[in-house]
Amino acid sequence: MCARKSHETKIEVPATLDAENAARIALAADKDLTYHGFAEGEHPIVRIEHLNKSFDQTKVLRDINLDVWPGEVVVVLGPSGSGKSTMLRCINLLETPTAGHILIDDQEITGKSNADANRLRRDVGMVFQSFNLFPHLTAKQNVMIGQTKVLKKSKAEAEAEAQRQLEAVGLADRADFKPPQLSGGQQQRVAIARAVAMHPAVLLFDEPTSALDPELVRGVLDVMRDLAKNSGMTMIVVTHEMGFAREVADRVVFMEDGVVVEQGKPDHVFDHPQNPRTAEFLGSIG
Amino acid sequence: MEFSRHTGVLGSLARALSVLCLALTLGFAFSLALAPTSAEALTTDKATARPNEDGGSGVIGGMDTRLTWEGTVEAGEEVSSITLALPEGATFDGSTTRITVLDGLTRIDVSGTAQSNGDSVTVTFDEPIGASSLVRLEITGMQFPSEGGDYSVSGTYVNADGEQTLDNSPAITVIANTPLQSIVNWLDEQEWVSAWNSNSFLGMFLKPQLLVTSFASLVPGWLLCLGIVVIAYPFALALGLLFAMLKISRHRLLRAIAVVYINILRGTPLFLQIYIMFFGLPMLGININNNLLGVIVMAVNSSAYLAEIFRAGIQSIPVGQYEAASSLGMNHVQTMFSIIIPQTVRRVIPTITSDFITSYKDTSLLSSVGVMELMMYAKNLTTVTGNITPYMAAAIFYLIVTLPLIKVVGTVEANIARSERGGGPRPKRRVASAVESTEDAPEASADGGHGEPFESGSGDVLKTLSAPFRPSTETPGGVADVR
Repeated sequence: MCARKSHETKIEVPATLDAENAARIALAADKDLTYHGFAEGEHPIVRIEHLNKSFDQTKVLRDINLDVWPGEVVVVLGPSGSGKSTMLRCINLLETPTAGHILIDDQEITGKSNADANRLRRDVGMVFQSFNLFPHLTAKQNVMIGQTKVLKKSKAEAEAEAQRQLEAVGLADRADFKPPQLSGGQQQRVAIARAVAMHPAVLLFDEPTSALDPELVRGVLDVMRDLAKNSGMTMIVVTHEMGFAREVADRVVFMEDGVVVEQGKPDHVFDHPQNPRTAEFLGSIG
Repeated sequence: MEFSRHTGVLGSLARALSVLCLALTLGFAFSLALAPTSAEALTTDKATARPNEDGGSGVIGGMDTRLTWEGTVEAGEEVSSITLALPEGATFDGSTTRITVLDGLTRIDVSGTAQSNGDSVTVTFDEPIGASSLVRLEITGMQFPSEGGDYSVSGTYVNADGEQTLDNSPAITVIANTPLQSIVNWLDEQEWVSAWNSNSFLGMFLKPQLLVTSFASLVPGWLLCLGIVVIAYPFALALGLLFAMLKISRHRLLRAIAVVYINILRGTPLFLQIYIMFFGLPMLGININNNLLGVIVMAVNSSAYLAEIFRAGIQSIPVGQYEAASSLGMNHVQTMFSIIIPQTVRRVIPTITSDFITSYKDTSLLSSVGVMELMMYAKNLTTVTGNITPYMAAAIFYLIVTLPLIKVVGTVEANIARSERGGGPRPKRRVASAVESTEDAPEASADGGHGEPFESGSGDVLKTLSAPFRPSTETPGGVADVR
């Protein structure tokens, strides 16, 4: 750990802004970039300020600044290796930022002890590309375990919640199946139920459909769309599903080489990309 | 008279003294003279029976044995006939008697006849045996009563003065004839057994009678083996898990401790470790019961292998599992105990079972330091009988435990492999490793997929059969790889 740090060039970032000030600046910056309907005195739920991340000497994220508003759906696009997933993993502290600030609900999560990080991390749900269900537990137990172990809910309470969430993703009848007995799409839907059952402030999706057979993608996207439209969940979605981005996103963020190249309302970015790199990428995706 | 008159009191005292002296002298002379005539002319020195227990030192009733009786003819006496008798149910029928008479160290040729009659045998000498001779009668083909007990040989002898009663010999302890002995006796009478044993290989390696008796004799050793490994193993599991945790710990010192412990124990032979503990501790003045020390050595040795199995098992859990747990807000301890270890346990069950098999077999090494386990019993039996059959019986005792466990390993591996494939049928001729795949097991019955016992066939059987016989460092499933 120590040895690795010595390789890194120290990155100086300014101290984090105070909440009111940050909210004002963020609103000014974002109000034309998203379909999110701003409320009076609203604060961003996720604030990323000057986020830098290096692996050894490779800079993966360079000075990312991004604010996500409560209930907003942000879709992050970009070619492979552009740092999209790394940014998500930093928000969840699965990666430790090299420099910069990440604030959830105006609380800084970077530079905390493990115990504090675990507590703050409850507010951030994550859906992985490879599902990462716990294979020794049934679907229902997968949804329950975070509630009982972390939120210390009673078993009955957790079970009721699990049943509700599995119903929401259309898998009530698979509650007692173990992950290997479920299809990839079903597993991913269970994973979404597991994350939602924790009632996080923000839910991160790391290419949730990339590992799925094409015919299973739609079921997962339907669940995500339902989540975005009907439950008002704040979502940051890294995906290559352009249709989903165009239809569901409040804002589209285009990243390349660890930098946010362009962001804006989906139809603006898709139909009139301002940046040539964005245009090229969208063209190549078709 | 004058003297007495003069001396008065003194004289009467002297008279009394002389009378006393006379009485003492007479008494001494009398006792010397009478002693030979009133004592036995023939005294029993000893009576022993030859052990007839296969591989044991006991005398079993109802089976042919050889009774050896020794007596000494006293000075000035002659004995012309000896009758030995055993009480209730002992038979001398069909016995042959060998007579040896020794005068000092020289052997005297004696001719005589022996007549066996029910529970007594009478030896009549053509010439009476002279004084100071040692008489030895060896009666082969005699039997003690089959119910067993302590028996002494009594009897009579004839000397110049006629028939005299013989002293009872020290008791001979006879073991009751068990059903087992009856089986052996029955086997002895079977023609096929004789034919079988006449083959030098079969007779040496698989003598039926000896196999039967060995089974009975080996049971205590077998139980000790099982006891040692069954008691040692829970400790080994706990220690192993502890050292596995240390080895993957973030602290360098803890890691170093685990690495040293594991590498030294895995890098030296168990045999050497046994010697060090069994001979080293007593030299330090630490004396621990042999069996307990055996448990300790086995537990410590196994724990090193188990630590590696657990370590590899824990590290085979995909990092996504840790990430998923973290993203739910679980701390490290919750993640380990709710997510990682339950999955690890499933994965390492086959490997741990194989290690248990190895440990169970390795208790045999404890025989080298005098722990009375299975191997020790077998060795003793073979030494006594000069036959390899007890080792074969021991082999069967080892297999009684190992074969079912080998079967368990195979079944569990097959189940894990099948469930990790999502419950579908497995392609032929490909044995899925229990550990390579990233997914783990639901119950095998969930898909009702018990239908292909032969499909998972020959490859698996060979693999599982060979698995426990490989060194522990190459346990199946690839979990316990050496790093």
